Amino acid sequence: MCEALLDEGVEYLFGYPGGAIMPFYDALPDYPLKHVLTRHEQAAAHAADGYARATGQVGVCVATSGPGATNLVTGLATAQMDSVPLVAITGQVGRPALGKDSFQETNVMGMTLPFTKHSFLVEDPDELYPTMRRAFEIARTGRPGPVLIDVPKDVQFAACNDNGYRRLKEAQPPVESPGLERAAMLLRNAKRPLILAGHGVTLGGAEMELRLLAERTGIPVVTTLLGISAFPDDHPLYLGWPGMHGQASVNRAIDRSDLLFAVGMRFDDRITGAAHKFAKDAKVIHIDIDPSELGKVIKPTVGIAADAKAAMRTILGHLDDASEGDGCERWLKELAKSQEPERRRKESARDEYGPIQVMEAIKGAAGPGLRLVTDVGQHQMWAAQFFEFTKPNSHITSGGLGTMGFALPAAMGVAFAYPEEPVWVIAGDGGIQMNIQELATIREFGLNIKIAVLNNGYLGMVRQWQQFFHNRRYSETPITGPDYEQLTAAYGLAGRTVREGDDVGEAVRWAQEQEGCTILDFHIDPEANVYPMIPSGMSVNEMIEEDGA
Amino acid sequence: MPDTATGVALNTVEVRFTGGMLALNRLLMTLQNKRMPVAGFTLGRDGEGMRATILLDCPTESALRYTALISALEDVSEAGPAQTIEVALLETAADWRAAAERTGIEAHENDGMVVATGGPEKVDGFLAALGENIEDVVRLGPIARPEGEIRGGV
Repeated sequence: MCEALLDEGVEYLFGYPGGAIMPFYDALPDYPLKHVLTRHEQAAAHAADGYARATGQVGVCVATSGPGATNLVTGLATAQMDSVPLVAITGQVGRPALGKDSFQETNVMGMTLPFTKHSFLVEDPDELYPTMRRAFEIARTGRPGPVLIDVPKDVQFAACNDNGYRRLKEAQPPVESPGLERAAMLLRNAKRPLILAGHGVTLGGAEMELRLLAERTGIPVVTTLLGISAFPDDHPLYLGWPGMHGQASVNRAIDRSDLLFAVGMRFDDRITGAAHKFAKDAKVIHIDIDPSELGKVIKPTVGIAADAKAAMRTILGHLDDASEGDGCERWLKELAKSQEPERRRKESARDEYGPIQVMEAIKGAAGPGLRLVTDVGQHQMWAAQFFEFTKPNSHITSGGLGTMGFALPAAMGVAFAYPEEPVWVIAGDGGIQMNIQELATIREFGLNIKIAVLNNGYLGMVRQWQQFFHNRRYSETPITGPDYEQLTAAYGLAGRTVREGDDVGEAVRWAQEQEGCTILDFHIDPEANVYPMIPSGMSVNEMIEEDGA
Repeated sequence: MPDTATGVALNTVEVRFTGGMLALNRLLMTLQNKRMPVAGFTLGRDGEGMRATILLDCPTESALRYTALISALEDVSEAGPAQTIEVALLETAADWRAAAERTGIEAHENDGMVVATGGPEKVDGFLAALGENIEDVVRLGPIARPEGEIRGGV
């Protein structure tokens, strides 16, 4: 197992030992593999996920059978929903004990079937090495995803005859050219086109192709939540991101567009709202590496099952003779005008104590090299709205599954991958408590992670929904937490509490200058809301833009 | 069965896979997980492994998308559309050979029972042509038209 990991170029494993995985852990010290002992298996999965998202390599997590394996479940589902390449290794009870309700026996393959790309139960020791290698190949090829390898304890103990590694399936066929030619033709002729870029651009390393395509055609770019940082925020062609809490102007731009070039994205319901009303006047070019995504939610005019990078390169080839006419000038002017009110609102909010001020301060202190990991909830939306991401793949968050508790352990994976770069976590006071035990891991490894808790004393996004749709009945959303200054001290770390705008800048600079991990606990307006908001299943026309709107 | 039959079309998908029960479990979970409109499911095996015949109650375009999803499963060696047929077993004193020829279905007699095979619409036409002369009828299917020998059902 260790040799397979080394042959795959693995550097870090995130895991937690236990009875059924002990033979593996017994061998581990003899190999140059770095193991990170997390304080919970869920955190191991998220840390491997964060590492994978940040590096593009396969993340690896390890757990024992039974509760160790079940604790991985949320992490695997998170990775599956966001197409993150992950290999999870679980120990299993010995083969003679399988199916007998043995101590710490659980059918982890069965329970993870819906949210793993593939899974293996290795029953033949001679299959262990090739299965491990195959698992990595499956995890990273095509549409990436998590792969589980369940290894009975006696198989780990057995002598394995390395019988090599063989490919089991052929590679994807080459990109189909007629669809791409048609896509290029549609791009040339559109009057109000938009590029809608998703996580597939980052996963495919296609940021440069996206930029070239936008610049060659002059077509403005919007991204999905996970597509943020696939295109530089400060580029004049970048508009923002649409959806339930995306910018109002971007939602309207999609509504007005006559062509959507959707690449590496899957028309999530948080983007489309009511799908039948989404971009109703637009032709749709949909490029995704997973053919089953084409037509799943939105029927494309041109559907192309291809890798984002390869497809955009081909299209760029067809656009060599792009006209020098006025292109999208009129469309760009219209869009710029529609964004003015948002710009003014943002400017005026900069001086008020609240999320925008905190984001601005962090952005200023950390600089453009910042890697931001957000949790799930209101703060996630504020961060996505108000940060400016100019570095590719610098925004990491749990999009599809929306996993509270993701950010802190995922940031550990990012920090291990890039120990010299500033890593900030923004979390709410709900989510941060879900994996708070990882402060011990962070302390042990001296990780330089800065944490900003936007503390409003509520499970804020749920409270906001209760305010709008449940007549302000704040049922079980008020939440208390620890004194973070004392908590960080207990873990041997440093923390501060911030209650006023005048203290924000200084506190953030202090945190940035400290060696190692710090927590800043920002007490913000308990009833601050995220705007705009498109109620679930509705369209841009039902968008709520501000209090009372 | 899907919650609500679409009444649009029945599309048959033939899936070949290896990996035994674990693979079958994953296939079934995928059908359920993606809420595929499964109207029928039969399982067999042949020399190349297991074969599932899945009837999807949805338009052809959706069936092709579901087929793409199924074919991406690692255990699946082959997945693709298959022809849908119905089998009707009936007793009749009428001239079933003429009706079969007119409606374009295959039919033969076995122990006094007429075995009629064809596309669902053609079987409908055949039975309608015989009208009230049918004494007893059992309709099997719709099912996929097998392309090779199925040695055993599960």
